[in-house]
This record gives sequence, C-alpha cells and structure tokens, in this order.
Amino acid sequence: MAKLELIDIVKSFGATKVLHGISLTIESGEFVSLLGPSGCGKTTLLRSIAGLESVTGGSIRIGGNDVTQMPPENRDIAMMFQSYALLPHMSVRENVRFPLRMRKRGTRKEQDERVQAALETVQLGHLAERMPRQLSGGQQQRVALARAIVSDPKILLLDEPLSNLDARLREDMQVELIELHRRLGLTTVFVTHDQEEALSLSDTVVLMNGGRIEQTGGPQEIYAAPRTHFASEFIGSANLVPVLVGTGDTGLQAKLPSGELVPLDAQETTRGKATLALRQEDLKLLPAGTERPGTFHASVETQVFLGARIRYVLRVGDLRLKCLAPATDLFAPGEKVLVQVPEGRARIIAERGE
Amino acid sequence: MRDRAEDLALASPGILLLAFAFILPIAEMLRLSIVGHDGGTTFEHFTRFLTDPYYLGIVWRTIYLSIIITLFCAIVGFPLAYVMARATPSLRLWLIVLIILPLMTSVVVRTFGWMVLLGRGGLIPFTLWKIGFVGRNFTLMQTEAAIVIGMVQVLLPFTTLSILGVVMKIDRRLEEASRTMGASFLATLRTVVLPLAMPGILAGSLLAFTLSVSSFVTPSLLGGVRLPVIAGSIYESATKTLEWNFAAAQSVILLVGVLLALTPYIKLSGRRHG
Repeated sequence: MAKLELIDIVKSFGATKVLHGISLTIESGEFVSLLGPSGCGKTTLLRSIAGLESVTGGSIRIGGNDVTQMPPENRDIAMMFQSYALLPHMSVRENVRFPLRMRKRGTRKEQDERVQAALETVQLGHLAERMPRQLSGGQQQRVALARAIVSDPKILLLDEPLSNLDARLREDMQVELIELHRRLGLTTVFVTHDQEEALSLSDTVVLMNGGRIEQTGGPQEIYAAPRTHFASEFIGSANLVPVLVGTGDTGLQAKLPSGELVPLDAQETTRGKATLALRQEDLKLLPAGTERPGTFHASVETQVFLGARIRYVLRVGDLRLKCLAPATDLFAPGEKVLVQVPEGRARIIAERGE
Repeated sequence: MRDRAEDLALASPGILLLAFAFILPIAEMLRLSIVGHDGGTTFEHFTRFLTDPYYLGIVWRTIYLSIIITLFCAIVGFPLAYVMARATPSLRLWLIVLIILPLMTSVVVRTFGWMVLLGRGGLIPFTLWKIGFVGRNFTLMQTEAAIVIGMVQVLLPFTTLSILGVVMKIDRRLEEASRTMGASFLATLRTVVLPLAMPGILAGSLLAFTLSVSSFVTPSLLGGVRLPVIAGSIYESATKTLEWNFAAAQSVILLVGVLLALTPYIKLSGRRHG
C-alpha cells in the first residue's frame, strides 16, 4: 500500500503522442478508475505505471520513490490483465505462488499458507490443484485476482478485468472487488471504458480523452457536474444542444435552435452562445395539452423498449433529443409530447478553449 | 461435390510416387538385408554389424555426435527463435531469410567454405594461432569438431524454425504478467517461455537428431575416412566393397534407430491432440 504520483507523464509511439503530460496523485489506499473510450491512453498509462511501457517524459513515484527507470519486476506492483494471463503450464496453486516465488518472500511453508489464504479469499481453495484451462472464465479471473493480491503489492493495477465476463458475473465481481478493497485497503488503479463500473467502484474517477485528463473527481461529482463537452457526453450520454442564453419573461433561459425555451438556474453566469447539456434520464415527458411554464413541444420519432425503461428519440425542430423514460410513460411514434426539464437539471457547459 | 473416386484421383500421383520411390525400395531393402551369401534367409549381416567393435564404434560416434549437434542446435536455436518471434514482422522476415539462405547453397559449396575456414592455415586456426590461443598452426579438418560445426550450421534452420512456430504462439502478455510478478527478463525466459516452447524445442531437436544420424555428405567431407559415421559406412559397403546385403542390413538398423527416436515424440504429440 503506497501513494502513487504521476508527474507530467508523456508517452509517444514513434511520431504519435498518446499521453500529453498526465499528472495525477493517488493517495495510499485509494481506489481510482481511469475511465475513457478506447484509444484515450488509459491502458498505456496503466502499463507505464507497471513499467511495461517506458515513458517518453515525466516521472512516476511509488511511495515516494522514483521508479520511472525501474524494470517492472522491481516496482512491487501487481497487475491483473484483461485476458487474466494465467500461466497455462502451472496449476492454480503454482500460479498464485509465482509472485512469492519470484520475489523470494518467505519460506516454502509460509508461501503455501499465503497462497491458500489468497485462494480462500476468492473462494477457490478447493480448486488449487486444477490447471487454468480446466476452469471457467469467472474462476480464472478469481485466480488472477488471488495472484494479484497474494504478494501484498504496493499498487494493484487492474486492466479492464471484468470486461470478459457476462453481465451477472460482472456484477458479482464488482461487489467482491469493493469488499476486497475495503478489507485489504490496497492502492488500486482500475482501467475501464464502462462508466457505470467506474462510478460504482471508485473513490475517484479520472476521465481521460485523447491522452489527456478531462476531469477528475468523486463519482457523484463527475456524474452531477461534468465540466466539459466530452465529460457530459461520455458520462450519462447527455444531449448536447447549441443554445443562446439570455434573460426572458420567466428569468434566465436557454433558447434552442427551434426557438423553444428552457428555463435555467438563476446563478448561471454564461451568456450568449453556449452548449446546453440535457441528460437522457432527466427529461420528463408529458402528454400534449398539459402545457405549463418551462415545457416545450416535441414529437416522438422512435421508441425502443428496454425493459424497465423506454428510450425515445424526440424531434424538436431540426434537433434530435434522446430520452430515457420509465416504462410506464407510453407514447407512440409520431405522437406530440411535452418535454419538461426539472429544475436544476439543465446545465450550461463552458465551451472548451474559452 | 466430392466423392471417394475424385479424392483418390487427386491423391494418386502422390501415392504412386510414394509407392514406387519409397515403399518399394524400403521393402526391397528389408528383403536384401536378410538374404545370405548362398541366397537363403539369414541374420548374419545384422550379427556381423552388431558384434564387430569397429562397427559398434561407428554407431556410437554417430549417436554421440548427433546428440552434441542436436544440443548445440537447441541451445543456439531457442534464443534465436525467441528474438525472431519478438522482433517486428519486417525484421523477422529478414532474419528468416538470413537463416534459410545457407540452405539454398549447395552442400558441396558450403562444405568447401568450411574447409577454407577450418583447414591448416585457414581463417580460424590461423587467427587462433596469431592471437596466441594455440601454440602452432593446426587444422580443424578431419576432426569431430569440424563435423559438429558443419552439421550445426546445416541443421540450425530446421531447429530454429520449429521453435519459432511455437514461440510465436505464446501470448506476450504471459511474459508481461511474469515481469509484473517480480520475475526478471531471464527468469521469465526460464520459467515461462522455455516450458511453453518445449514442444517446439522437442520437435526441432528430433528433426535435427534424425537428420543428423542419417547425414552423409557433411560428415564425410569434414570428418574424412578416419571418422566414419553410419551413413558413410553404408555408402562404403554399397559402392566400394559391393556388399549390398550388408549395406541393406545397416540401413535397416539406421531406420529402426530413427523410428525408435521418433516414437516418444509421436506419443507425446498424439496425447496433446487427442
């Protein structure tokens, strides 16, 4: 367990720059997610922390020690791979013992005890003699997890470890990861492209895009107050609408391209051209004929039934808005509806570069 | 549409070639090996070969030289194959061309090249003498060392390419995982890559061994008449002393020996696929 400091990390592959000066401090015992679309540099950053990629510039410190030039085997980290990377020629027990054997930790007997304890932690004590290929995907993953925690590493690195599991197993593993982290308190860096996973697991979410950190914050903060275009689109996939902000009859309001008006919070400071972010699940649909202040007209273009919810694609003038409504709000395609934006849910995003 | 007749028609040229050029001669060889001087059936040729210390000496030399050659091929071939497998595709192509290139020159030309390098006053003995490693100018020709050097060069591509095929299939992330678990590069090579490459090393070594025990040109030219190997001895019997039946018996012994060496591998690979 140690503090991890990344200072101005730059990484280029040939002429292509994939990390543009990443600075990040991860406190001892913190669970941090690197979240972003594929190609945003999150995996490269993780591999740089592990020492599997050498950085082009900047420095990496683990527990205060500069490890930038250190080969991976000396960094005292553990990494769990997306493909699990279990050694196919070794049994489960030998796989889990491997880090202890290579780091020469303790006697053979002590190693055996720690291996058994790690396997019990992931409820695989009874499968120790199996070979990896004899295990299911979920079991292989638990072995990989046991192998990652057995040596009590300073930093635990997880590279999309849950993405190869089916939905139910993934939920179980998420819960287990949270409990394991609470119990062991390992400094953990978790790479994922799944925003729900990042929001539900981490103390801090680091949102990355194009080799830069877009926004860093707690899950609630990231979700409630995305600061950039990208952040609001990636988290909760909000509708982004170009608007004109000004003061009207009912106070501060945003004017949509079609002329419809959306009321805004009075403390909003931006004026003139701006971007309005409307989260899909925030939009409330009302039947036509119940007009009231703060609603605007739209028509249903498409309806997609998702089980607990229905996704509507709405048309407002030339504009398309996506909306996630409870399955009880039934509207047919072509039907006129009223859209209400609840108070405080219409957010104006400062344009990048302003 | 495929049916038996079409399959057979397609395969027939190959089958005919095999029958006439391989199965028939082997059958004839088996027959000749048990025909005595008087024309009757006998095992005298086998008894003669297996009881004469001179011939047993030839068998022993053939076997231990082949083992040394095979070991050298594996020891040099494994790191080479690993480097090739982990190189960029274009570099790998050049390395493959580089190690296959010697195979494209005639054995005689290549062996002549070794004669130039290894003979008295040749580059290697002369350099060693001038540096002061040895006290006088000497020749490496007509020695077992010359046979080993020449054969390793001939067989290295076979071993290397067999190992390369297997190492290419080893997931690179296993090595990365091993590094993050505290294993140095060399420890990873030993504990992860080597065990996983073992099937390729075994296959390549067996290939080198079987080609080596039955090789004729290189040992004869580099080792000379004082260091005969089995293939050379068969050649002597068949062309110089004209003992066809004895030559056939020696060939059968060589054939059986090679088959015995192959069985463990066939069993191993059969179990893996089955």
